[in-house]
Amino acid sequence: MHKKKILAFTTLAATLVTGAASVQAATLDDVKARGTLSCGVSTGLAGFSEKDANGNWSGLDVDVCRAVAAAVLGDADAVQYKPLTAKERFTALVSGEIDMLSRNTTWTHTRDTSLGINFAGTNYYDGASFMVMKNLGVKSATELDGANACIQAGTSTELAIADYFRQHGMSYKAVTFDTSDQTRQGFESGRCDFLTSDGSQLAALRVGLSNPSDAMILPEVISKEPLGPVVRQGDDQWFNIVKWSLNAMIEAEEQGVTSANADDKRENGNPANKRLLGTEGELGTNLGLNADWAYNIVKQVGNYGESFERNVGMDSPLELERGLNASWKDGGLMYAQPMR
Amino acid sequence: MREFQPVPARPAPVKTVGPVAWARANLFSSIPNSMMTLFVMALFVYFIPPIVDWAFLSANWTGTTEDACVRDGACWVFVKAWSYQFFYGTYPEEEVWRINLMLGLLVLVIAASFTLPKHIRLKASVAAWLLLPLVGIAVLDGRLLGLNQVTTDLWGGFTLNVFMAAASIIVAFPFSFLWALGRRSEMPFIRSVSIIFIEFFRGVPVLSLFFMGSVMLPLFFAEGTNVDKLIRVWIVLIFFMSGYMAEVFRGGFQAVPSGQYEAADSIGLSYWQKILLIILPQVIKVSMPNILATFVMLFKNTTFLLIIGIPEVVQTLQTALSNSYWLGGHALEGYLFVFLVFWSSCFSMSLLARRIERQMNTDKRG
Amino acid sequence: MLKQKTLEQTKAAARRNKGGRSAAFYNNPEIRALGYQLLLVLGLGYFFYSVISNVLANMEATGIKTGFGFLTASAGYDVLMSLIPFEATDTYGRIFIVGFLNTILVSVIGIFFATVLGFIFGVAHFSHNWLIRKVAVLYVEIFRNIPLLLQVFFWYFAVLATLPSARQSLSLGEAIFLNVRGLYVPKMVGSDLFWVAEVALAVAIAGIFVLRRWAKRRQALTGQIFPVFYTSIAMVIGLPVAALLLTGLPFTVEYPELRGFNYFGGITIIPELMALAIALSVYTGSFIAEAVRAGVQSIPQGQTEAARSLGLSEKRIMSLIIVPQAMRVIVPLLNSEYQSLVKNSTLAAAIGYPDLFNVFVGTALNQTGQAIETIFMTIVVYFIVNMVISFLMNRLNNAVALVSR
Repeated sequence: MHKKKILAFTTLAATLVTGAASVQAATLDDVKARGTLSCGVSTGLAGFSEKDANGNWSGLDVDVCRAVAAAVLGDADAVQYKPLTAKERFTALVSGEIDMLSRNTTWTHTRDTSLGINFAGTNYYDGASFMVMKNLGVKSATELDGANACIQAGTSTELAIADYFRQHGMSYKAVTFDTSDQTRQGFESGRCDFLTSDGSQLAALRVGLSNPSDAMILPEVISKEPLGPVVRQGDDQWFNIVKWSLNAMIEAEEQGVTSANADDKRENGNPANKRLLGTEGELGTNLGLNADWAYNIVKQVGNYGESFERNVGMDSPLELERGLNASWKDGGLMYAQPMR
Repeated sequence: MREFQPVPARPAPVKTVGPVAWARANLFSSIPNSMMTLFVMALFVYFIPPIVDWAFLSANWTGTTEDACVRDGACWVFVKAWSYQFFYGTYPEEEVWRINLMLGLLVLVIAASFTLPKHIRLKASVAAWLLLPLVGIAVLDGRLLGLNQVTTDLWGGFTLNVFMAAASIIVAFPFSFLWALGRRSEMPFIRSVSIIFIEFFRGVPVLSLFFMGSVMLPLFFAEGTNVDKLIRVWIVLIFFMSGYMAEVFRGGFQAVPSGQYEAADSIGLSYWQKILLIILPQVIKVSMPNILATFVMLFKNTTFLLIIGIPEVVQTLQTALSNSYWLGGHALEGYLFVFLVFWSSCFSMSLLARRIERQMNTDKRG
Repeated sequence: MLKQKTLEQTKAAARRNKGGRSAAFYNNPEIRALGYQLLLVLGLGYFFYSVISNVLANMEATGIKTGFGFLTASAGYDVLMSLIPFEATDTYGRIFIVGFLNTILVSVIGIFFATVLGFIFGVAHFSHNWLIRKVAVLYVEIFRNIPLLLQVFFWYFAVLATLPSARQSLSLGEAIFLNVRGLYVPKMVGSDLFWVAEVALAVAIAGIFVLRRWAKRRQALTGQIFPVFYTSIAMVIGLPVAALLLTGLPFTVEYPELRGFNYFGGITIIPELMALAIALSVYTGSFIAEAVRAGVQSIPQGQTEAARSLGLSEKRIMSLIIVPQAMRVIVPLLNSEYQSLVKNSTLAAAIGYPDLFNVFVGTALNQTGQAIETIFMTIVVYFIVNMVISFLMNRLNNAVALVSR
């Protein structure tokens, strides 16, 4: 009894204080041994990672975490969500505190090459844009010379807007806020003339206004912001797992496989369906996973289209159009590398 | 003989009792005084009715979703729906008894340190205080006691503020005591190290220490090890607190008359016997109000944890405010709620501190 | 303290005299002390060695850049408010200075108003007016017991954000404008002869010191009291104004005016600065009020009675008898309150006032990823500022301390 206690205490101390020893080595083994996936998300971003009143996480970014958990552990709910601020997200990933990061992070050259991280794909094609009050009478971003801008601190938008205004020979005053909710309040109170953020966030912020119809989003998109999941460098197998988990969601939409018909397609579908869902081929084994890895993703999380509509699309309060994020078959940019 | 002439009776005294007299003496004793009184009253009359109307008369009390908030006033439904998370974070509901148990234990230990019989009070309460953080981690985490593990990412809400503050100050206690001794030491190197340590942690903003905990500390550990974020912040808080408490104790040491040191020396006690048996109990006693004040400061500062994304109560509130099904802007209700919770706990602690101070003063006189 | 030291020394001396015969070397207190310190040196050395080598290894492994080279790199983002000219193309080094000046600005404003508020409410605690007394207690107990973060949010989002928009500004004589974007006041722009007025101001300030000394001597010699305070105010205002009139008003006034989206010209005080300064003043003021109350209460009633029996007026009792004595209690408390005000000004990050912490540990850290350098530089600055405050307040403390004769 006594020895057992000491042993238990040592393991407790070991996991709490010194943590999982080998970060660089196999993340897959760590995750399997732990039984949960530790996934870095935003502290609260409507549609992407948000917590409801019962403490359940949901969102487009959260669904990527859930997909990876479903693929690796067979259970989409086996995720430990670690809410991170913009400043600490890369440190948390590199130091091994989290297994993967899915926190609306823009894929840029500098980040990909100098921070010791790898981007595993794009789950949302975004772009910074402007929102103004209709009564301002502004129809285009080029009329905003000398205006005040509400910006959320620590986003890549901060640099994009500086570039845009300099390029057009205009001036602006940046009023930066710490969280998106504060940015919205600042905009609503009239502290600034326009609010700039990624397009997806503008939609969320607009819904949050006390009178959404007073505001409009200007047509200009001033930057490219491809958002996607991130893993640390040096573990190629894990990199592949995250990359192909996302791809499986996109591919499932292309093939018309949904959480509702996955069981049926698994048995009676065409060869591509069967390969995806694991009744044929070796896709799972090549990743070091079970054959039903992608089936679990589609069954428990849904395909990309379902996830989109549920979290940010027409079934959600944000009501975003698919736009760039439609499947390539529908004229969008969502294109899965062939699953064969 | 001259005729007796009574001195004329003095006029009746100005009324000195009753509400009118009281008002005259206390509210309208002079013209500037009356003006100030009227000004303050006007402020009350101007501000209070609309606040009462918003917060009570036309407020929304029933329902569970945002759609229930149809009236103009406050939407208390928001606070109600999120109240569990405001208090307990995402701690599983069936395990929440553990948090309540620890809160109860905390109160029990506080009460015990004031009410136990004198002869065992010091030893028993010191032991209880030092064991409390260990028991707390064991109970809240659960693995050690064979319960289900609740990982630290699920801890949160107002109870996290309480536990972070309490756990930091308790663990900082012995360290700060050593630092205070070091600062009084006659060994030059030990003294200067103590001074540098104390002044460093008192001289830098607590926010920068939190940033150290969140982005700098992970680089300090050997490659491949990683320490839970909450633990890292806890470590930083312990350092911060031991700097502050060391100064509190230094004041305490100075308040102990030098005769006590000399008496202890003269009966042949060793250094540590002298410090632990004679000086420490007196130091703790005189420092008690300041310790409480430091604790209140720390407790209020735990809200700064929001800046590094720890889900304490204000962070939880902001998460709630950004939820896409509660986007109607309930910031005011939420902040008012947090304000009331903090104010009532801090105010009661400062009342307690004042009571202890008064008790001590009577001791001195007796 | 002094006594104890001599005691320790005599003890040590006694042991030394006996030494060699009975006590082993490890019982010699001096050798012991050396041993303890050696242990500490080794422990600290090991600690720093392992931390530094870990940091280096970690940075190597993750490919994070090191060094202070980023200070000369262009920042590429704008800062909301700057006391020196700043553009987005300027360097991180300049951003550091901008942030530093903004921190100093809000700290100085905060310290000034916190002291004023603190003294007003501290003295109000002893008012004859019941309502005023209660308001003073209410002020202290409410603002002392709420986290500063919530107060900053309150002033910024609940009070200042309700001001009208730029086009419906509140205005005072078409010269001063107040709206949700800030407070706009006219600015005096001096031309060639403006230096005369500046010199006149300097002369007035120097004159006050001379006047004070003269008044003191005259009172000592003749017993007559000279109204130094009012004369000083008259000098500070009168001399520069007279100089301006004599040189033919060599300045123009630049009024703020609405052009496009915003007011331009004049001096702009942004709401972030106002909210932070108000929150810091009100919060710290409540602590200072408590310090003042404690200070005044520490003066025995007999002092007031003795002063009254000498025939001093109530105002003079306060300024000559009570306050100078109370200052002995108040000044050390003020010292720590001022220091915590400077440290608390880092909460600027919560509402986006561009103080040192916000622009450097906030945005610069986020853009460069160089956590150690940015946090280290910032910490050092706050540490030095607090050292300076501590030094000044200790000088003040020595000035008000009891001089034992």
